[in-house]
Amino acid sequence: MTNPPCTAAQLDPRALARAKREALRRRARRIRRAVAGLAVTLFLMAFLVVYVQLASGHDPALVANARKRAATSSTAKASASGASEAASAGEATSAREATSTGEASESQSGGSTESSGDESTSAGESAESQSGQSSESSAGAAAVTTSQS
Amino acid sequence: MLTSAASILATAVGPHLFWIASRAAGIAALLLSSLSVCVGVLIGGRVLSTRRPELRVTHEALSLATLAALVVHGLTLLGDGYLHPSLGDIAIPLLSGYKTLWTSMGIVAFWALAVLGLSYYARTRIGVQRWRKLHRFAALAWILGLAHSLGEGTDAGQTWFLAMVAVAVVPALVLLSVRVLGPSRPTRARGQADAAGTQSRSRADTSRGVDVTAVTETADTIARASVAR
Repeated sequence: MTNPPCTAAQLDPRALARAKREALRRRARRIRRAVAGLAVTLFLMAFLVVYVQLASGHDPALVANARKRAATSSTAKASASGASEAASAGEATSAREATSTGEASESQSGGSTESSGDESTSAGESAESQSGQSSESSAGAAAVTTSQS
Repeated sequence: MLTSAASILATAVGPHLFWIASRAAGIAALLLSSLSVCVGVLIGGRVLSTRRPELRVTHEALSLATLAALVVHGLTLLGDGYLHPSLGDIAIPLLSGYKTLWTSMGIVAFWALAVLGLSYYARTRIGVQRWRKLHRFAALAWILGLAHSLGEGTDAGQTWFLAMVAVAVVPALVLLSVRVLGPSRPTRARGQADAAGTQSRSRADTSRGVDVTAVTETADTIARASVAR
C-alpha cells in the first residue's frame, strides 16, 4: 500500500494551520448555532407543556389552591362573597393571583384566609396591601373554580 | 401569520404569559446548565482521555445559553401580575418576601454562575490556575440552582418534570462524583501513552520519507494558539 505524495502546500505548517483554524472556527460556529437552537427548542417545549397544563386545568398551583379551598370551606365562602363584591367593583383578579396568594398565605404568618369583608373593602381601596391581596385571592379563587370546572 | 399566532397566544395565555415564560425559561436553564456541567466535567479530563476543542466550545455555548435563559427567567417575573417583584426582589438575596430561602438560593446560584462563568473571559488576568480552581465552584452553584428549582418550582411535584430533571441531572451528578471522588489523573501513564502514539505515527510517516508528524504538530500548535488568542 502506497501513501499519496505530500504536496508543498500540505507540508507548509502555516498553510496547514490556516486550514485547521478555519475548520475549527467552522465547527465552533456550527456548535454555537446548534446550542442556540437547542436552547430555543427547550424553551418552546417547556412553554408549550406548561401552557397546555394550565389550559387543561391541571396546573399544580391551581390544583393545590383548589384543594386548600375545599378544606377551608365555610370561611372561604364568606370571604369569597365579600371579595366578589370588590371584584365586581372593578378589581380585575386573575386566576393565578387567586392561587398563588393561597400559597403566599402559607409563607406569610397566617390569618389571611380568615380575612373578612372589611379587608375586601380595603382591597378595593388599596390593592397593594397584603390583606387586600388575600381577600382578592378568595374572590379569584371562586372564579378559578368556576372556570376550571 | 406569525403576528396573528402571537396575538392568539397572547389572548389565550392572557395574564399568565410572563409567569409561563418564566417557568419555561427556568426549566430550559436547568436542562442547559445540567448539560453544561456534563460537558465541563468531561473537559476536566478524568473521564475522557483526550481534550477536544469541540467540547470546550460546546461548554462555552451551553453556559452562555444557560445565563441567557436565567436572565429571561428573572426578567419575565418582573411582568408577572401576581408577584409584582421589583428588580431588587429578583436580583438581591433575602429581599423577596415570597419563599425567601428558595428564592435567595436561586439568586445566589445565578450570580455565582454568572461570575464564575463569565470570568472565563478574564482568566489570563486572574491567572489560569487560580481561575480553574474558582471555576470548580460553578458546580456548587448548579447544585444550588437545582435545589431552587426542586424547592420552589411550581412544577417540581409533576412527574414529567421529575423525569426530565432525572434524565438531565443524574448523568451530571454521576460525572461530578466520578470527577470528585475518582482517582487522580494518571499523568505518567498518559504521558507514556502519548509518547507511544507519537512514536507509532512517526514510524508510519517515515515510510513516506517525510516527517509529516512534525509538520502536523506544528500546524496544530499554531492553530490552537491562534484560536485560543
